[in-house]
Amino acid sequence: MKQKLKQLENPYIPKPYKILDFHRETFDTFTLTVNMKTSHEPGQFVQVSVPGFGEAPISICSDSKDFIELNIREVGNVTRALAKLRKGDKLLVRGPYGKGYPMQHIKGNNIIMIGGGCGVAPLKGAIGYIENHRADFNDVLLYLGYRSPDDIIFKREMERWKKEYHIKVTVDKNAHGKFCYDAKEGFITDALKASSFTNENKVVFICGPPIMMKGAIDILKQKGFHDDQIFISAERLMYCALGICCHCMIRGKFTCIDGPVFRYDEVKDFKND
Amino acid sequence: MRVLKQKKKRLFEFLGKLKQSYELIAPVSKDVVRFEKIDDTGDIYLEKNSYFPLKEYFFRKEEVLFKFNGNKIIVPAPEAPARVFFGIRKCDLNAISHQDMVFMNQVNDPYYSSMRKNSFLLGYHCNTAPSPFCFCGSLELVDYSDLMFYDRGDYLLVEIGSEKGKFLAGKFREFFVETNAAITQKEKIIPRADRLDKKDISHLYDHPDWKKGVDICLSCSACTALCPTCYCFEIHDNVGTKNPKEGERKRSWSSCQVQEFTKVAGEHVFRKEREERFKHRIYHQLDYFKQKNGINLCVGCGRCIEACPTRIDFVEIINEMK
Repeated sequence: MKQKLKQLENPYIPKPYKILDFHRETFDTFTLTVNMKTSHEPGQFVQVSVPGFGEAPISICSDSKDFIELNIREVGNVTRALAKLRKGDKLLVRGPYGKGYPMQHIKGNNIIMIGGGCGVAPLKGAIGYIENHRADFNDVLLYLGYRSPDDIIFKREMERWKKEYHIKVTVDKNAHGKFCYDAKEGFITDALKASSFTNENKVVFICGPPIMMKGAIDILKQKGFHDDQIFISAERLMYCALGICCHCMIRGKFTCIDGPVFRYDEVKDFKND
Repeated sequence: MRVLKQKKKRLFEFLGKLKQSYELIAPVSKDVVRFEKIDDTGDIYLEKNSYFPLKEYFFRKEEVLFKFNGNKIIVPAPEAPARVFFGIRKCDLNAISHQDMVFMNQVNDPYYSSMRKNSFLLGYHCNTAPSPFCFCGSLELVDYSDLMFYDRGDYLLVEIGSEKGKFLAGKFREFFVETNAAITQKEKIIPRADRLDKKDISHLYDHPDWKKGVDICLSCSACTALCPTCYCFEIHDNVGTKNPKEGERKRSWSSCQVQEFTKVAGEHVFRKEREERFKHRIYHQLDYFKQKNGINLCVGCGRCIEACPTRIDFVEIINEMK
């Protein structure tokens, strides 16, 4: 018993969980449903590991106390190993970690979410939260950008989102000329520019590649948005997720404990740090 | 704090006696001055500070966090030899205090804590700065030892700094005599060790002079390896060749001075330029850590300057900034 207690206190030790579902989203992304029962904020992440391959931080893209969903893109050793797992397999998880979206503090607002590629994953967690607390929020506007129609993730959920929310989807290139989900060719920032909303009673979440986030922020500023209405997600190399290994440090802030979601005014002066 | 007196020749008898109950670790002069396990107390060398800091004894260069076989995890029993460290300078004692903040206060790191809890820290005051690169006097160092030895010629004054120190002084009371002497704050100041002029560098981030430290940097990361406070680490899995399911998850030191430090999957590097990495190191030491913990991480030992193959002296660079 004593030995077991010690193990619980050791912050580096993950625990095994079962995979309830494996769903392939695109040729290089998939969503795992894991039987981890935990309370968490949308935007928080967990450290997922496959022994022998290592650990990777993955954001939680669901809003449930009974399980977590993880949308994963195959870009590194760990994520490629995770792609080989299937329903019934086990994986190791510790967490959740970090600060997510401040859902409690932004009740009554209209929410704009701007996502690029797999940056849509943490936003899906926030959408899930809104679905579970629909009366607390006004209009929801989704701006989702992908490289091509083949890269669109969460196609199953998008059918539902289309009915409930204002949604605009763009693809950088539509090489096959394939029609898909009302996606327009162009960048998501173009769709944003063409929209007529103002900053009144609005809060914006942005998650995507740095260049897309920068472009989106510039347009929002032109539309009169203040820095403290915008929340962005940072991506950094991470090992400990406890705020001590320092790899994810941006200036004095730690992506793993002070973020990954930051209010824009907290981090706007940080360049490539 | 309570002060005891000890005759110089009794010091080595005391250390010899300690050695019978504990593993004694103190500086010796070999290829360089380094902390080592002492077999003969006559080998202890106190003229200079050690080239390598003590950190490896607590925050080890490599640490097995756990072994695994598939998804089964086996956590090693914490290793905790009872050790007495003697001859630790004030800078290094403060470096240990800063690492304690990280590994014992901010998180409960069982590997670090077990090594620390079973150790006694016996400090040795510098009557004069032991290296031309020292600048501990420019930083706000505190008393942080179990026993602190002040060399007063043919005798030593020994300040008891903790309950552990009290225990040790009590257990070996025959080596100490009572005294009315006190050690004043003024006497704790190390002369000629205050060469860093600026206390606050937060407004200097965009200063062009940082480049001076960059053009000749080789990104060798000797500075971070020899720093007594640098605590960055990475975690990797190692597997055996016989059974790829069996292996261990290891933590090892890493350096913010190399590009890999911020390289994410997909090969993107956040701090790609040497200037960004150099500034990151100095700002973590003299600004960021203070924002979180109220005290500078840097303790002014000067090892990063002494060890630098191109002698980049960030103290001079900061001093010359207008």
